[in-house]
Amino acid sequence: MRTTTRSSEPRRHPRGARSPARGARLALLALLIGCAAPRHEPKELLQLSPESPQQRATQTRLFDTSDGIELLSASAAALQDLGFQVQESVPDLGVLRAAKERSAREYGQDISRTLIALLSTAGLVLGSNTLVIIPVDLQQQINASLVARPVDEDGSRHEVRVLFYRVVWKGSGQSGDQQIPPGQQKMEMIRDPEIYQQFFARLSKAVFLEAHKI
Amino acid sequence: MSHADSLLRAAVLFGCMATLACAAPPKPSPELLAPTEAQMKLRSFQSRTFELDDRERAMRGVIAALQDLGFIIERANEPLGLVTAARFAEPNYTDIIAVTVTVRPQDGGRMLIRVNAIFNNKPIEDPEAYQNFFATLERSLFLNKG
Repeated sequence: MRTTTRSSEPRRHPRGARSPARGARLALLALLIGCAAPRHEPKELLQLSPESPQQRATQTRLFDTSDGIELLSASAAALQDLGFQVQESVPDLGVLRAAKERSAREYGQDISRTLIALLSTAGLVLGSNTLVIIPVDLQQQINASLVARPVDEDGSRHEVRVLFYRVVWKGSGQSGDQQIPPGQQKMEMIRDPEIYQQFFARLSKAVFLEAHKI
Repeated sequence: MSHADSLLRAAVLFGCMATLACAAPPKPSPELLAPTEAQMKLRSFQSRTFELDDRERAMRGVIAALQDLGFIIERANEPLGLVTAARFAEPNYTDIIAVTVTVRPQDGGRMLIRVNAIFNNKPIEDPEAYQNFFATLERSLFLNKG
């Protein structure tokens, strides 16, 4: 029944005339395109961005020490204090990689999941046939990638640069007959300067040295 | 079931089996591992030599350049001169760009640095991408001299 109405639409609105439905669809499309994040060309991703000096400043601190190994070991200790497990360490190059896994459950997401499930159940009673259960974030892995390196020719000062990012795994969901399998991933960089400040405060305590901003 | 019917069924079955037997995977061509001209060209985009004799310093420069570009350093191996790093194609978090950099000392106090970049599962073949990377690397190596 619905199909016939839809197919008769163009006849009611002859070519050239704007159908309101089409206009609405176009508007929705424009809105969606407007919301979609712009995609970068791969070559742009290998180029310094205008934000890189700012990001470098947030992620980097200078220490007045010539002992790179001690600084790296203190960095590992600071990460351990924050609950990270060290996954990779290369002392020759001052590289550390660490990760910690935590629950990513948020009350807000659970509440909206329940509300939408309830609403769609009400819709079931009224004759619609789509039960919607949206997937919620279940588990997250927070990762740290850290590099300590000498900045002067004589190696009297070292800089530590750390980068935090996280990977979030979603649980299962359902939309009508369609099952949404669990395990869908979401990844993001952690850009909150406060997190970096906390880490460096802990690190400077561990090495008994003041952390200088660059 | 009639006789003709079962005969037809047997013929169809035989046909299916014959098709399956013929559909063996194609053999790899002998040129599979031979370098093509396009590959040689790509290799020249991906490589550059620098007037440097200290491999450790070159590798630290590579790591610093990658960090400046927002890459996450995943692995580094000093004896082999290998650095592996990746980043999300921000603000789009579903695309990933991964690079492997090799640093090898050459004769005459020079250092050969080669970078391979892939975007999701596709190798990046745009020379400009590699030019951009080496521009950042040069800057980082220069700043590293202090």
